[in-house]
Amino acid sequence: MEKASHLSVIVDLSPTQWHLSAQADNQYPLSIQTFLSQLLAFLNAHIASQHENTLAVFGALPGKSVMLYSSTEVLADDAAAPDANSYPPFKAVDSTVVQRMMYEFDAFKDVEEEAPCALVGALAKALCYINRITHPSTSPGGAAEDPSILPDPRILILSVSPDLSSSYIPIMNSIFSAQKLKVTIDVCKIYGPDTVFLQQAAHLTNGSYIYLERRDALLQYLIMSFLSPPAIRKVLAVPKQDKIDFRAACFCHKNIVDVGFVCSVCLSIFCQPVPVCSTCRTKFPIKTLQRLNASRPSLAPTSSRNTLPLANLNNATPRPTPPRNVNGGTPGLR
Amino acid sequence: MRAIKGILLTCDSAVKQILLTMNEKAPFVIEDLDEFHLVIKADEEYRVRRELEAELEKNTYSLEAN
Amino acid sequence: MPSVQSPQAVDPPASHSNPHALLPFLRSQSQNTLTRLYQRPSSCLSIYRLLGPLERQLVMNLLWLESAIPVNTMAVWVVPEGKKLYDDALAVMTGLHILQNSTVKLALNPTFKSSLRQAITGGGSTGSFGVPAEKDDKRQPGGIEVLDAYALERWETILHYMVSSGQGQLPTKPSQGVLYLLQRSELMKANHGATLQITSSGFQFLLHSPHDQLWDLLLQYLHMAEERQMDLVEVLSFLFMLSTMELGREYSTDPLSETQKVLLEDLRDYGLVWQRKASSKRFSPTRLATTLTSLSPSLPTSSSTGGSRVGATTSAIGVAASTAQQGFIVLETNYRVYAYTDNPLQTAVLNLFITMKYRFPNLVVGMLTRESVRKALANGISAEQIISYLSTHAHPQMRKNNPLLPVTVQDQIRLWELERNRLKSAEGYLYRDFASQADYMYVLEYAKQLDVVLWENGAKRCFFGSLEGHANVRGFIERRTGGG
Repeated sequence: MEKASHLSVIVDLSPTQWHLSAQADNQYPLSIQTFLSQLLAFLNAHIASQHENTLAVFGALPGKSVMLYSSTEVLADDAAAPDANSYPPFKAVDSTVVQRMMYEFDAFKDVEEEAPCALVGALAKALCYINRITHPSTSPGGAAEDPSILPDPRILILSVSPDLSSSYIPIMNSIFSAQKLKVTIDVCKIYGPDTVFLQQAAHLTNGSYIYLERRDALLQYLIMSFLSPPAIRKVLAVPKQDKIDFRAACFCHKNIVDVGFVCSVCLSIFCQPVPVCSTCRTKFPIKTLQRLNASRPSLAPTSSRNTLPLANLNNATPRPTPPRNVNGGTPGLR
Repeated sequence: MRAIKGILLTCDSAVKQILLTMNEKAPFVIEDLDEFHLVIKADEEYRVRRELEAELEKNTYSLEAN
Repeated sequence: MPSVQSPQAVDPPASHSNPHALLPFLRSQSQNTLTRLYQRPSSCLSIYRLLGPLERQLVMNLLWLESAIPVNTMAVWVVPEGKKLYDDALAVMTGLHILQNSTVKLALNPTFKSSLRQAITGGGSTGSFGVPAEKDDKRQPGGIEVLDAYALERWETILHYMVSSGQGQLPTKPSQGVLYLLQRSELMKANHGATLQITSSGFQFLLHSPHDQLWDLLLQYLHMAEERQMDLVEVLSFLFMLSTMELGREYSTDPLSETQKVLLEDLRDYGLVWQRKASSKRFSPTRLATTLTSLSPSLPTSSSTGGSRVGATTSAIGVAASTAQQGFIVLETNYRVYAYTDNPLQTAVLNLFITMKYRFPNLVVGMLTRESVRKALANGISAEQIISYLSTHAHPQMRKNNPLLPVTVQDQIRLWELERNRLKSAEGYLYRDFASQADYMYVLEYAKQLDVVLWENGAKRCFFGSLEGHANVRGFIERRTGGG
């Protein structure tokens, strides 16, 4: 029997980015209104595919993330009045999403300075939600759990903001939980530069990362690439990124680094040699520090796009004495 | 050359032996082809099937009967 | 002992194990009929849902394109291993006239395209999703519990009538229309005079899932509608409209055509539609109707303990829970069957292939015996059907077992079936006494080309040909001997 599938969509609703995206000097300007109408058509297409398909929509707003719609919970206060020309579930999605979005935007009217977009918050919420609906064992009667009827969960991130390097750690943690839950993360980069972290998210969860080249064809991109559940993708291939930027962000300044230094104890990443690991408080031998400082590339670390191996701070245990093998401090492969 | 109308029966060899025994009482076999095939008269099939059924039934024992 | 277990069908990715029963019927309709049907957004949406997953994706891929795209452009998306599935999907879509028939370009039927677009974006003025009835301040609309109870009662009446006809009991008769439909579909047959008797296809029908049963009957209804000169498009679009309606809401009968009003009455008999009174100007679809195009169980749990859970099926969690709760059968390796049910219909269906031993208020105990299974086989039920019924209704406790049903019991049921088929027969002609080996070979070669040879033996110089091939073979021999 065919499985139902679950889709959680995370929409990046950064007002600044959407404002920039709508500017007429873009090759294909895309305003949030146009985006929204195409997004709703895509959401309806997902629900249309199967009666049992479930859907959740999360919004990533500056400084907060909210659930905009969920097919298993009632969020809107007043149900939309039925009308003879639309399918009730479609109407429910459309009106709830628009209504909640407007409400959230209105709340931001008076805010002077825009906080960074809480994409990770939305991602984490989506994962928690998926975890809840795929493990209904806590609900009464869930004792007889049949794995064949669990929905096939996916997350689609529609991103317009650039990478926020301070969110490296939470994003990586989310990716690991997604892997554990067997959730596929798809990413569609609608506006702005490629984001390194989301590329990695898609790659590590077997999803696809697509940079929207023709923004006037957003809906077609969404449908061709992101509507199909994994089973269909085995027949109709979905493009995947062939080049993935695997760079990480350092823990000290949250910069994305080409060459970093890794604590030998807890694997924290730093952009420059440090005497004490900020995460696990390990003290590093002074000699190693000097040597590593001397061997640092003179170029600014972010200028090159090549992914270089991260250097290991040293191979030593946190003993105050220098390791016997001084030459062993050569950068080890991570 | 001759063409004879009949019914081709395909069966396992045990059933075939039972059929041959039945044939001795009231003949219906036209041709014994090989180990698994017999040609019988076209109008005898129903009777043969019924009698075979009864014969096979003698060889089954069920718990319920006890 | 070699296992007689039939090879388990391994699902290739994204394969549609069996296409929906309605699709062949739609395919047999003229392009004109289908195009008229596609004018209504609700029909397009429902048909779209009945398609296999791959077809659905292809429809969506093409839906928002303004112009046709070359066949090759779409083909590059297909992975090599999926080529066959992809070609099959295109053939299905062309057969339904959803896809325009062309070998160079792919494009959707324009009517289908605009209606499905309208279904997804909303709007328009076709009113194809049903016109909701005005709010009635005097009376509350029938609650979901009322609807479920009604649907269940109607449906079980039909099934119970069928199952007990074989045992000479006379439970409540369904309406005349239902009886006629059962007869038409050859699920039941008038025996001597008036009493209807269940047929072997009727027995098989009883073991299907409610969803399949419903579509079986509706298909028969459609065939009958054709004969009764009802407009098929109106019948189908009404069914599709029902399937997109909301459970627990009341709709107005005013916009319905005359044909559809007749249909409404029939569907009320089957339990798809609920009306307060026959003359009421409003109606509510039941769960049987709103789940026509879905996989979720069409009926709430039939046991009387299921009442509290009714209404939860709108959520994914609800679906999961209620499917699991349908199981009530425990089968042990010693052939004993424990059925936790007090439902007379379920008991009667079980009685088709098990020997009952004890009955308690909530439990029925029986045995799968050679006799009981042979009785079922004689009624035309196959071993596979028994096994699949037992596994779909297995008790949640059984679900921990792997395999679900004891292998010994499964094998034995299949063996009992094989035992009935020890003798295979085929009518035809035995050709023998050929004059020469060359003659024999020559005629045999010809008969082989016609594919009518059932048995041959070169040493005995004879072969057995099927009845259908006889005229040809004889003609061939006569021409040959006649021509020297």
